[in-house]
Amino acid sequence: MAFLFQSILNGILAGCIYALFAMGLTLIYGVLNFVNFSHGELIMWGAYFLYFLMEKPLGLPLYAALLPALLLTTLLGVGMDRAVFKPLRKANALTLLIAALGLSFFLRNAAQFFYGAEIRTYGFEIRRGMRFWGMSITVNQVAIILTAVVCIVFLYFLFHRSALGKSMRAVSDDLELARVVGIDSKRAILSAWVIASALAGVGGILLALDTNLQPGMGLINLVKAFAATLLGGVGNLWGALFGGILIGMAENLGVLIISPGYKDAIAFAIMVLMLLLRPSVLLGRGRD
Amino acid sequence: MKKLTCLVLVLLAAALSLAPSAFAQDTYRIGAAFALSGSIAVYGEGFKKVIDMAVEEINAAGGIKGKKIEIVYEDNKSTPKDCVTAVRKLITVDKVPVLFGPAGSSNFMAAAPVAQESKVVMLSAQGAAPNLTKAGEYIFRVFPSDVLQGKGASELCVRLGYKEVPVMYVNNDWGLGLKNAFVENFKKAGGKVTDEIPYDENKADYRAELIRATKGNPMAVVNLTYIKEGAVMFKQAYEMGIKTQWVCGSAARAPKLIELAEKAVEGIIGTYPYVAQDTKEYKAFAASYKKKYGDDKIPIFGDYNYDMVFLTAKAIEKGGYSSEGIRKALPEVAKGYRGITGDKTFDSDRGVGAEYGVWRIKGGKIVDSKE
Repeated sequence: MAFLFQSILNGILAGCIYALFAMGLTLIYGVLNFVNFSHGELIMWGAYFLYFLMEKPLGLPLYAALLPALLLTTLLGVGMDRAVFKPLRKANALTLLIAALGLSFFLRNAAQFFYGAEIRTYGFEIRRGMRFWGMSITVNQVAIILTAVVCIVFLYFLFHRSALGKSMRAVSDDLELARVVGIDSKRAILSAWVIASALAGVGGILLALDTNLQPGMGLINLVKAFAATLLGGVGNLWGALFGGILIGMAENLGVLIISPGYKDAIAFAIMVLMLLLRPSVLLGRGRD
Repeated sequence: MKKLTCLVLVLLAAALSLAPSAFAQDTYRIGAAFALSGSIAVYGEGFKKVIDMAVEEINAAGGIKGKKIEIVYEDNKSTPKDCVTAVRKLITVDKVPVLFGPAGSSNFMAAAPVAQESKVVMLSAQGAAPNLTKAGEYIFRVFPSDVLQGKGASELCVRLGYKEVPVMYVNNDWGLGLKNAFVENFKKAGGKVTDEIPYDENKADYRAELIRATKGNPMAVVNLTYIKEGAVMFKQAYEMGIKTQWVCGSAARAPKLIELAEKAVEGIIGTYPYVAQDTKEYKAFAASYKKKYGDDKIPIFGDYNYDMVFLTAKAIEKGGYSSEGIRKALPEVAKGYRGITGDKTFDSDRGVGAEYGVWRIKGGKIVDSKE
């Protein structure tokens, strides 16, 4: 029985990571109405920025390097918008999609150029997890779950209790109308990028602390995050958490029955099913 | 005027490069498309040292029927594209009937069709990919195929008394081929494979696969893995408190695995193609290397390259200095030939067999084990 509980716990863990990524994805989609396929590279660069700060010549300790790494990730996110997406604000969906894909390749290859394709770790000592009820969980993994919950609560209050959040939601509903009533849409868009990038950075760092760093780490998880977004309803924060955990659980419990060779297929199957059964998920949003 | 000068220079250069092949009929020339620059130049440089040594020894002993051997080196720059260029140059310009191919299975396989189409014999001394020689009957290797590791892993399990094991493998051609070889041999030996768990490359999370593999607490789990995937897996298994004996192939036998997964890989065992270094022949090889180069750091795969030169010389001696003659003579001279790396008899895929040793990670180091 223990292996079942452990699988459920691992599912929740994977789900929290997916949810952290899905929230950023859903935020940009909500405000700018396009799927940012280079979000995965923000995740990856978040992890690599921390690596850069902790390695020689800087050699900062983890606590001192965390905030600068997140700051760099945010700068990269805002820079992405300024350099690529802002000039394309009025372009059609296909153009934006291709631009995002191109950017994704560029950023991934840039990481490969600087750090190579090999996997790296932050070099912390490997520890056995804490054990209870036949399950095991590491300190990192507790941090992942807590961070995911804290981020969601924070975002929930930001969106529903603050003026900035409300202006972002207004822009998301109708950009033109928001402008007409005097909402600073530029500020709302900038905020969306800052928050989405910071979330990506947090998620990437947690993922890399739990596993390791490699240039492809963002891409693999982005598809899962996208599936989670669809499952939870685009623009719905709690939905992102719910969708993420559901996919994480489906994957981890699914491989106990079907061949693990099809692990990724589970997330894709859920995604395709959602699109077939509820095509409105991509359009309808903000039901919370 | 400038154009004309250029043209003259180009023609002159062409004439110069052609000259040796036109006049040098007093030696047997063998091509070598080696990585002398680029990412795996360390291979090419090492190979060259050993090959030069082997050629010296053959020539000192009178060459082949009185004629000396000469190696024509061509830099393949470590990329598949330049490997093709290098092999093509050796075939068309230097007109060698036989050549030593590039290191790195993908590099070798990129150039193999060129040699095959030109009907020129090409050999590999370190290519391990199962399909390495698939290009055709002119392509040989003196290094054992990876698939044989599956057999080695099976024999190891039987020796250690594991009757029922699950097997995990990388979900690609390499992993699948290896897994099939393992399952086939293990069943033949009376063992039972309880579960087969394929997994994708380049994942950060293998916890689900690990839980499935260790369901029911098996005594041992066979894991046919690479370094990267192995490091992630063994680390996560350690964190989850999974206790089992991991049995691997040779692809995971690397210091990098220990660097990445530290104490999580302690106690892992595996098999690898083993070259007995205590034989008289190997000791003589090591001694003459030391005499020539002043150190005992024999380059990786150097021993296989050494055997390759001697086999090729024997084939030229028997079949004559033509690609057709060498192709036909190679299996004949190799049959029962014991080089310093063991039996070099070619199988139906123009590859060789291997003897297997056991490695274990002990105290953060890879050591030979007696199991």
